[in-house]
Amino acid sequence: MTGFLADAPDAALLLLYARGDPDAARELARRFLPRVLGLATRLLSGDRAEAEDVAQEAMLRLWRVAPDWRQGEAQVSTWLWRVVTNLCTDRQRAGRLRAKPMGDEMPEVPDGQPGAAARLMAAERVAALDAALAQLPDRQRQAVVLRHIEGLANPEIAAVMDIGVEAVESLTARGKRALAAILSGQREALGLAGEDPSDGRA
Amino acid sequence: MDELDDLFLAAKAAAPAPSTALVARVLADAAAAQPRPAAPSPVPRAGWFAWLADAFGGRGVVAGLAGTAVVGLVLGFYVPALATDWSSVLSAETVELIPDADSLFASLEEQG
Repeated sequence: MTGFLADAPDAALLLLYARGDPDAARELARRFLPRVLGLATRLLSGDRAEAEDVAQEAMLRLWRVAPDWRQGEAQVSTWLWRVVTNLCTDRQRAGRLRAKPMGDEMPEVPDGQPGAAARLMAAERVAALDAALAQLPDRQRQAVVLRHIEGLANPEIAAVMDIGVEAVESLTARGKRALAAILSGQREALGLAGEDPSDGRA
Repeated sequence: MDELDDLFLAAKAAAPAPSTALVARVLADAAAAQPRPAAPSPVPRAGWFAWLADAFGGRGVVAGLAGTAVVGLVLGFYVPALATDWSSVLSAETVELIPDADSLFASLEEQG
């Protein structure tokens, strides 16, 4: 990968791809595929196979929109997060997600390996969070994941979800309260210490 | 930091890396969907006759010249005496089409 492509803005890469540069797609995939897959995985409650399908479809839509991309009108990343959230919503409404019991797809951790217990606990926490996220309404789940796991700022989330910033703040606050309530019975099992999270904190 | 933040951190750390197979599928899609630069329209190569026609003012002119040359060759081959006679005629005398300077001054003096 040349330094030129590595330093190029996202929209410039998309333009290069549309003009036939064979390396531009590789750089775009390097930048976005991990985050697209991560977002899809969390929005789809940890269903890895379904998340891979969504990630591939989202990237395919990016390739197809490249020739018509209007420079300066939207961020490539924002556009991609919106496509991913919409694709995930469609799949959840179509009921395509597999019923995934707690602990499914957890990493194999050999007994006695240093840090094995900590990694197993981390995997259990992620599985519990995925299960709790699955119980949230679509918009709350999207806002919470985009804000607290993907680390997007509220204005960008507002652009992704096509709502106002205040609505984003409301969704994330309600989503966190709902998550705390759902997980309140598992605090000890998940090794979560501290005060009761269902006390109304956002 | 509250307990939910611990869970969010765990989820961030557990973000799945794309498998080699997924990367390959995505790049294959990219290659298939990538617009190809428009190929230049093929320009037919002009033959030697077309080049000659352009140089001499068109196909009709070149065809006429070629026909005349063929007739000349045929005459020269079958009636060589005719060619010899014409050459002797052409070399027999010199025709002055433009008067020389002496003739010009003489005619001026006569007029003056």
